[in-house]
Amino acid sequence: MNKLVLIAWRNLYRNKRRTLITAASIFFAVFFAIIMRSFELGSYDHMIKQSIELYSGYLQIQQKDYFDDMNLDNNLVYDEELIQTLSNTAGIKAFVPRVETFVLASTGHQSKGIILTGIDPLREADVSNPEHLVIHYKLTSENLTLIQQEITLPEKQLEQLKIFQNTGYNNLDRLSADIGLKPHEFDLYRKVFEKYCRVPGIYLSELDDGLLVSNRLAQFLRVNVGDTIVLMGTGFQGSNAAGLFPVRGIIHIPSPELDNKLVYMSIQKSQEFLNLNKNISTVVVNLNDADQMLSIQKELSGKLDPDKFVVKNWFEINPTLKQQIEGDSVSGQIFIGILYVIIFFGIFGTVLMMITERMREFGVMVAIGMQKKLLSRIVSIEMIFIGLAGTLAGMLASIPIVVWFNHNPIRFTGESAKLYEDMGFDPVMPTALIEGYFAWQGVIILVMVILACYFPLKKIRKLKVMDALRA
Amino acid sequence: MKVIEIKHIVKIYTEAELEVIAVNGVSLDFDEGEFTAIVGPSGSGKTTLLNMIGGLDNPSSGEILIGGMSITSLKGSELTNFRMRNIGFVFQSYNLIPVLTAKENTEFVMNLQGKSKRECETRSLELLKAVGLEERVNARPAKLSGGQQQRVAVARALAAKPKFVLADEPTANLDSKATETLLEIREKLNRKENITFIFSTHDNRVVKKARRVITLEDGKILSDIKKNGSD
Ligand SMILES: Nc1ncnc2c1ncn2[C@@H]1O[C@H](COP(=O)(O)OP(=O)(O)OP(=O)(O)O)[C@@H](O)[C@H]1O
Ligand SMILES: [Mg+2]
Repeated sequence: MNKLVLIAWRNLYRNKRRTLITAASIFFAVFFAIIMRSFELGSYDHMIKQSIELYSGYLQIQQKDYFDDMNLDNNLVYDEELIQTLSNTAGIKAFVPRVETFVLASTGHQSKGIILTGIDPLREADVSNPEHLVIHYKLTSENLTLIQQEITLPEKQLEQLKIFQNTGYNNLDRLSADIGLKPHEFDLYRKVFEKYCRVPGIYLSELDDGLLVSNRLAQFLRVNVGDTIVLMGTGFQGSNAAGLFPVRGIIHIPSPELDNKLVYMSIQKSQEFLNLNKNISTVVVNLNDADQMLSIQKELSGKLDPDKFVVKNWFEINPTLKQQIEGDSVSGQIFIGILYVIIFFGIFGTVLMMITERMREFGVMVAIGMQKKLLSRIVSIEMIFIGLAGTLAGMLASIPIVVWFNHNPIRFTGESAKLYEDMGFDPVMPTALIEGYFAWQGVIILVMVILACYFPLKKIRKLKVMDALRA
Repeated sequence: MKVIEIKHIVKIYTEAELEVIAVNGVSLDFDEGEFTAIVGPSGSGKTTLLNMIGGLDNPSSGEILIGGMSITSLKGSELTNFRMRNIGFVFQSYNLIPVLTAKENTEFVMNLQGKSKRECETRSLELLKAVGLEERVNARPAKLSGGQQQRVAVARALAAKPKFVLADEPTANLDSKATETLLEIREKLNRKENITFIFSTHDNRVVKKARRVITLEDGKILSDIKKNGSD
C-alpha cells in the first residue's frame, strides 16, 4: 500500500502542472460554490429575520379557529395562565399580545380596506419595534433644492439622492447608507439634512388614541401627521365599530404589501374600539435562536390546551416568503450544480488523460505481475489526493471571506438599493457563517471525483497487456 | 525435466481483414535450467512466441503447459499472479516505470510478492551491483542511458527469483562489454538458482553462449539445435 501511495504521489509530482490545474479548478469550484451558497443562505436568513421581526414573529399563539377564520369572535383570552406558560418556556425572547382585524379606513378623498393592528406600544419594542419605523426624515424635490443651495454634494450622491426621493427615513444613517456615504463622510452634510428633511411624527404612547399609518397607505389616503382618519368595521360579536382617529406618525414598513395596508393603534384603544374587552387576536412570540423554532412550537403546543389554542410558526403564517426563498434556493443550487458539472468534466478529462497517457507503463506493470485493481487504486489515490487538496484549499480560502462578509455585509446603494427596498428587502447581503453547507461542498466534490473516475477506471479493468505494451 | 510444453500453438492476427499468421503451429519443450536462444529474421514471430509463453498473449489455438499446468485456460488476474510469481520479463524496449528509481524498479516485483523490505533491498542492491549500476541505484529511468535502463530491466527480471526469464532481444541496446556482463550474470544465476532462460536475439554473442538455438521463419520452426556442453 505504501508503494502505491508513493507511486501515486510521484505521478502527481511528475505532472505538476496538470495536478495544479486540476486541483485549482476544484479549488475555484468549491471556493465559488461556498461563497455563493453562503451569500444565498445569509440573505435568506436576513430576509426571514427581517420579515419575522417586522411583523409575524417566529411563532404565534392563536385561538384554535382564528387561523382559518380571522374573525374577532375567534379571540383569545390573554390571561395570567397563558402569560405564565410563555414566561416559563425557555428560548423565548419576548412575547406580545396583538389585536388584528380588517377595517375600512376613509378620509375625505379615499377609502380602503386595511389591517388594523393593536399593539402594546411599550412591549412591542421587543418584537417588531415599530418605533424604528416612524418616519422622521423625508427627501422631497423641494428640500433637495434647498439643500443644494447650501452645500455641494458629490455628483454621484446627488444622483442617488434623486432615486430615493419621497422615501421616508427613521434616521439619517440609513439615508447615508442608501446613497453610499460612510458615516464620517456624511457628517459633513448631516446638519443640513437635519435642517431641511425633518418631518413631524411620533410613536404611540401607552394609552394613545391616535394611529401610526404605513407610508404608502398614507400617500393613498393623502393623510399626514395631525390629520384624522375614519375607521369603520365590525367588532366582537358583530358589534358596530366606528371612530375618528388622529394620525400620530407615518411608518415606513420595508414590505410593500404591508406598507400598503397597515395601521397601528394602541392595544387598549383597539380593544375598546372593537368591544373586545381584554381579549386579543394573537400572541406574537420572538425567539432567541431561530433553530429552536420547531422544538419550541412543539413544546408550547403540548403545554397549551389544544381545545383553545393553536401555535403557528412563521412559515405557516407567511407561506409566500418560504416559497419565495425555496424557489430562489433551488435556482441557486442549479447554478452551483452547473458549476459542478463543468468541474466534473474537468476531472473526468484529467482522469481519462492520466490513464490514457500511461497505458504503456500500466501495461508493463500488469505484464510483470501487478493486479489491475492495484493500478486502479493508484489512480484513485491520485484523484482523491487532487480532490482533497482542491477541496480543502477551497474551503480554507473561503473562510476569511465568508467571515468577513458576515460581519461586513455587502450593502447596495443607489438603484440596486432602491430595487431591494421596493421588493421589501433590506439592501444588504450578508454571508451565512460556516455550517453544514460547508461540509456538503466537500462531500459533493469527493463523490464527483469518484464518479469521474468510474468510467476511466473501466479502461484499466479492460486493459489488454499486449495492446498497452504496444501503445 | 520438462518445465514448458508447447503444443502446436498458432497465433493469427487479423488486421484490416488481412490475416497474419505470426506463429504457425509451433510445438516445443523446454527443460529446467535450459538457456535457449530464439533467432530468426525480423517478423518471424520471436516476440509473439515469447509473449505467449509468458502468458501475455493468448494463442489462437494450441496449448501451453508450464510446470504441467495449462496457462491458456487461466483467467486475467490468475495469469497476472502467475507471471508475478514465475516469470521475469525483459522487453524489447526497456519499459521501466518512469516514476521509480533504478532500485525501486528492481524491487517492484518483489514488492508485489510481499517480500520484506530488507530482503528487497539486499537483493536489488546485489543485482544492480552485478549489472554495474551500484552508483546509479537512486536514478530515475529518464536519467539513465538506454543501455543502463536495459540493465535495470534485467535486474528487475531477475530480482524476484523467477522460474523463467523471458527476454526479448535483451542485448539490442547493450555494448559488447555490457552484453558480456549480462551473459555472465545469467550464467552465474543459472548455476545458483537454476532459472530457465529463453532469449530472442539477433546477437551472435548470445547465440554462441546458448545451449540450444531455435530458428524461426514465418512463424515456423526452421531448426532446433541443442549444443552439448556449452552450458
Ligand atoms: N499486434 C499485431 N497485430 C498484427 N500483426 C502483428 C501484431 N504483432 C505482430 N504482428 C505480426 O506478426 C508477425 C511476427 O511479429 P513478431 O513481432 O513476433 O516478430 P519478431 O520476430 O519479434 O520481429 P523483430 O525481430 O522485428 O522483433 C509480423 O509479421 C508482425 O507484423
Ligand atoms: Mg520482436
